[in-house]
Amino acid sequence: MLRGTDTTPALRDILPAQLRRLLSRGFATVVAATGGLFVLSWAFAPSSLDRGVVLTMLPFAAALAIAALGQTLVVMQGGIDLSVAGGLSLYVVVVTKYPAGDNSRLWPAIGIAFLTAIGAGVVNGWLIGRMRLNPIVATLGTNALLFGAVLWYTAGIPTTTTARLARVGGGLWLGIPAPLYVAVAVTALVTTVVKLTPAGRRFEGVGANEIAARTAGIRVKRHQTSAYVWAQVLYCLAGVMHAGIVNQPTAYEGNNYLLPTVAAVVLGGTSLLGGRGNLVATAVAALFLSQLDQFVLALGVTYATRTLVQAVALAIGVALYTIDWAVIGRRLVAYRPRRVAPT
Amino acid sequence: MSKKSGVALALACGAVLVAVATSSATSAKSSAVPSWCGPKKIKLGFTDGFGGNSWRLVTTNSARDEAKKCPSVTSIDYADGQGNTQKAISDIQGMVAKGVDALVVFPDAGKAILPALRSAYKAGVVTVPYRVTPGGKAGVDYNVFIDTPFAQAGENWGRWIRRVLPKGGNVLMLSGPKGNSQGIEENQGLHKILDPTHKYKFIGEQPFEVTNWDPALTQKVLSAAIAKYRKIDVIVSDFGPSLVGALPEFTKSGRKIPALATSDGNVLGCFWKKVHAQNPTFKLFTVSTQNDHARLAIDWAVALASGGKKPPTTHFPSLVFEDSTTGKPHPVQCRPTLPGDIYLSAKLPATVQAKLVRK
Repeated sequence: MLRGTDTTPALRDILPAQLRRLLSRGFATVVAATGGLFVLSWAFAPSSLDRGVVLTMLPFAAALAIAALGQTLVVMQGGIDLSVAGGLSLYVVVVTKYPAGDNSRLWPAIGIAFLTAIGAGVVNGWLIGRMRLNPIVATLGTNALLFGAVLWYTAGIPTTTTARLARVGGGLWLGIPAPLYVAVAVTALVTTVVKLTPAGRRFEGVGANEIAARTAGIRVKRHQTSAYVWAQVLYCLAGVMHAGIVNQPTAYEGNNYLLPTVAAVVLGGTSLLGGRGNLVATAVAALFLSQLDQFVLALGVTYATRTLVQAVALAIGVALYTIDWAVIGRRLVAYRPRRVAPT
Repeated sequence: MSKKSGVALALACGAVLVAVATSSATSAKSSAVPSWCGPKKIKLGFTDGFGGNSWRLVTTNSARDEAKKCPSVTSIDYADGQGNTQKAISDIQGMVAKGVDALVVFPDAGKAILPALRSAYKAGVVTVPYRVTPGGKAGVDYNVFIDTPFAQAGENWGRWIRRVLPKGGNVLMLSGPKGNSQGIEENQGLHKILDPTHKYKFIGEQPFEVTNWDPALTQKVLSAAIAKYRKIDVIVSDFGPSLVGALPEFTKSGRKIPALATSDGNVLGCFWKKVHAQNPTFKLFTVSTQNDHARLAIDWAVALASGGKKPPTTHFPSLVFEDSTTGKPHPVQCRPTLPGDIYLSAKLPATVQAKLVRK
């Protein structure tokens, strides 16, 4: 598959400073966009910044940020993980149905969910890292398997969240939703590991240039496999929090995460072709997407308009990074109908 | 009184006693075998367009429970369309091929199911769709359609709102996907009762706020509405249990939970019991969530196929279940030891439902 390694290394060798600036511009863009969105919210839909609304939005943003970090790790390896929907749905039903209201069974349930997540990650990683399957095909297959497990375990019937988990998911610590602390801590941890530890640098190196990494003696397959495992672990954490936030989760909660996680990665400026990951920017993008939801809801427009506004915002966000505006600009400037001199 | 007439009176009394005794014996017998259960042995089929939630599970098992009352029903087959219209159609065809005599269908996909219903009907199978209209005509495309007037639920909610908020107020209605016919009809019923008073204002998106019956979206929609509207006096929703995660949004915003007119669910009743003391404005009124609708459809299908007595109506009414203000017909119900996802308004015993849901 296309791993984007043909042009990126060349660019990186020639223009490291510019490239770095481009990536930090990605982070600046998403922060500016999020700031802008909050200003827009304040100007046009002030009710979306009410304490109650913000306290509702933040836990969802936190869960999305954690799931999106998982997706970022996969995208950094030039892959994509479509099994986030099935995986997250499965972890939600495991942590709700296994305890079935009994607080004492919550920890074992969370344990089972994480073990399942590691299993799912290993399957994805093995298929893509070892067997060299196309990530879209492989993770779609795993997604179907995970949804199969959801149906097998629950017959599609949801269970109410355990009281203890609901207290954490919906709880406030020092006036701030508890899931937000988790999201900030996880973002800090993942960023530190990826950016500051030798293992993290190797991981990013493999994503940026597989051939160079292999030449340098880095175990490429192992790093690629690990991306899918860590991603599932992060989805599982997001799923546990989501189950706490939503008291009556359905059996298909993960569907709400498929598009937004990919959107958050792209809005955060991580290239879908792999390479350097903007983890903090991904988390900020999750906040952007969640606030966008509340903003259009608070505008009081119809459901149809709401959906359109979200789609347009996403399209603009994605276009900012994926379209090479400089090239288009140059082409537009360069295009001048030339007068052919008569011979 | 002459001796003769005395004997006659005694005989008459005796005759009446015998008659009463016989009739009570007959009624005892008829309560064992319901009147809709005829003598002809039949095989019964039951197909669902989508079976994957606790409401459907309880409904399906209510249907089984009802069919088991009739000894003429020799077998009951069930198929779940799993939300896939194509599978729902082939399920119906499969039932016909299996040779069922009567078929009860929950046609989730609506008109898309009509050709399959028609072919089953033409093949001589007693075909009874219920709850979601498949279009077509009774006697041409199927035997009979067992409907429920959703507007009636709206009217029930409307009458209660007029009683608990006699001075009027702001009404916020939540329903499922945009344009779903259930929500639209309920809204019409609500307007029919509330509009003549000119005291009630409908707020939010009209005819209802779209929640897709998804608890996460409901939470977001409700918190946005709470911030946008300073005054919400009553919330109307056709899926009460999905609100349990969302209602605490009021508390987060430092406001009291308002009155709620909705459908029942154990989790909702228990939630009300837990928080109503701190939220004096939180009055609760529920209509039955109608798991027993399937029973009426079974009664009809069995009656037509086995030669039993037809039930008196094809409409399953919207029944009031709980009212926290009057306690009639029931005060708010909660079985804290049983799962939240059961429906205490259903005839199927709560413990049986709990076993089904926990399975």
